[in-house]
Amino acid sequence: MIELLLTVFSATFFVTVIRTTTPLLFATLGGLISDLSGALNVALEGIMLIAALTAVIVSAYAPWYVAVLAAMAAGALLGSLMAFFHLRLKADIILVGFAVNILASGGTVFALSMATGGDKGTSINLVSKAVPGVDLSFLKAIPAIGPTLSQLLSGHSILSWLGALTVFLIWYFLYRTPYGLWLCGVGEYPAAPEAAGIAVGKVRAWSLIASGALVGIGGAQLAMFNYIGFTRDMTAGRGFIALGAVLLGARHPVGAMLAALLFGVFEALSIVMPNLFNWIPSEMIQTIPFVVTILALVLFSYRAQRARQLKTLSKP
Amino acid sequence: MSTTSPSRWTAIGKEAGRAALALVIALIVALVVILLTSTEPAKAFATLMTGPLSSNRTIGLWIDDVAKLTLTGLAFSLVFQARQFSMGVQGQVYMGGLFAALVAMSPLGGTAFAIPLAMIAAMIAGAAYGIIPGYAKAKFGASEIVSSLMLNYIAILIVNFLVRAYLAPAGSGQLATQKFPDAAIFPSIIPGTRFDLGIVIALVTVVIVWFLLYRTAWGLKLRLVGHNPKFAEYSGIRANAIMVSAMTASGAIGGLLGAVFVEGRAFGNLSVDFDGNLAFEGILIAIVARSRPLAVPIVALFYGYLRQGAQLMGLRTDVPSEMIGVVQAIIILLVASSFSLPGKKALGRLFGRERSPAAAMPGEAK
Repeated sequence: MIELLLTVFSATFFVTVIRTTTPLLFATLGGLISDLSGALNVALEGIMLIAALTAVIVSAYAPWYVAVLAAMAAGALLGSLMAFFHLRLKADIILVGFAVNILASGGTVFALSMATGGDKGTSINLVSKAVPGVDLSFLKAIPAIGPTLSQLLSGHSILSWLGALTVFLIWYFLYRTPYGLWLCGVGEYPAAPEAAGIAVGKVRAWSLIASGALVGIGGAQLAMFNYIGFTRDMTAGRGFIALGAVLLGARHPVGAMLAALLFGVFEALSIVMPNLFNWIPSEMIQTIPFVVTILALVLFSYRAQRARQLKTLSKP
Repeated sequence: MSTTSPSRWTAIGKEAGRAALALVIALIVALVVILLTSTEPAKAFATLMTGPLSSNRTIGLWIDDVAKLTLTGLAFSLVFQARQFSMGVQGQVYMGGLFAALVAMSPLGGTAFAIPLAMIAAMIAGAAYGIIPGYAKAKFGASEIVSSLMLNYIAILIVNFLVRAYLAPAGSGQLATQKFPDAAIFPSIIPGTRFDLGIVIALVTVVIVWFLLYRTAWGLKLRLVGHNPKFAEYSGIRANAIMVSAMTASGAIGGLLGAVFVEGRAFGNLSVDFDGNLAFEGILIAIVARSRPLAVPIVALFYGYLRQGAQLMGLRTDVPSEMIGVVQAIIILLVASSFSLPGKKALGRLFGRERSPAAAMPGEAK
């Protein structure tokens, strides 16, 4: 137990948490944007998987930033596909989302096998690149706290810093610009913005596209920093956990970040625990993020329900 | 059900036509993909289209898949009819398979009771696993989509762990249990093939689910809750109780599928990752069948053929069987949407003026 505490409060664990949180954070923010516009995006998992593969294949032939952009583009493309089928062809958004997930789980293996010449498991034959880390070792020069600070802040992926920035940008967009108001209005009560002359369908379509692009960055981080390369089904439920994180984060960008951080902590725990407790079977450790998601979801939903009930009670 | 017979038949014809059109479009896309990627496209496409009929053995494989796809399609249909997007069938299959295997490996496994007992145990296990997301939604308002998906991952990990650590023969390093005793494995209907009791169980379940949905008060309430939960609530139906019971019944079917998996002649034992993602494909069956139990086996027959063709294509040619994922996605997208091809209408939709977007209400199940 002491060992676990020592590990959890070490700087390396913090770095691991940031690493595991980043893909979840982007996926959660993506889910948040589409959820606020009234379209529950259950395809986070599939989009992330396709984006991860895109990033790996592109990075084998191009610089890392092109690969990240390609992953974003792939995500945005899938988002627009969902928007097209949901808004123009009136398909149920949840069914469309699962179609994308099915496309991803089969299609990525197919595309991987094509790109590697027959390997259906990993992209090990493909020399893919990594997203560079940000070196802040100059912080060591600061007296007293310098070394710790540099240990904590140095070496994170550029995309992790981008993630923190994105939380702020999305917050600003949602609560400080008219477009954010449109977006929330479309999700809350579409008839009102429509009466005000706002193209409801367009807003929802753009939110799905933005959602796809954000999830795409998460996929790039997963396959170009957390792991270098693609493995079959490498998202392993992260997209679905992010879906839970959207609800858990009270549909607010900062809440989304905290929820993603919570699940990131537990994922990081499931990474460090096998080294500390080798008597716990690895499968049981792997269930931790999923169990935590259910428990957190139930607890949060219960509290939200209570809050709603109290609100209606207090009204005359 | 209030519609008169002729109009109902036209509606069915229309739906079948749309599904067939979706299938044709998806197959054309598959052909293009094969042409682009394969060095022997003609052989690959021919295997996809005719492979399952190539021998008695492959026909048996096909029918075995049809039985399983029918059951998972029914499990999804039942929750979809109540408009619950519970995706937990896979987890229920694993739990059902686990408990069926425990019965089959117990001393009871050698007796004549092995098959019915294992099926009952599996159904109870599946139902118990199906209650969890239903109860969490009814009691706490927790999204059943997220909780059921999480439960799938948990069930798979638990079963894989138990098989690896306890149920597999000790020290062998195998990732499967030993074969069950003969009394606990389904008898085959045509010897030498996988054409076994599974298909009979599947067809009986179709009739039972149809009867429950369309000939009982519970089924009427369930469909009412699915169509319009508010109205159902006002007319005195306890929507939450119906919802939980729908998920429980669906869980029992999922558990039954688990028993069919492990006791069928295809396996006859419990191994890790045994469902090969088939349980999840019930979502496609249910969507194409419009959640109608009687349409489920027909859709399963066609889809099972395609699935088996893809497997054989993966084995015999250079096109990986996973290519079928593309076909699946296109079929779901086309069937779930209101496409109509070819014609002015579709072109008008593509390029025409914006249709009233507010009509596209979010398909959320909150």
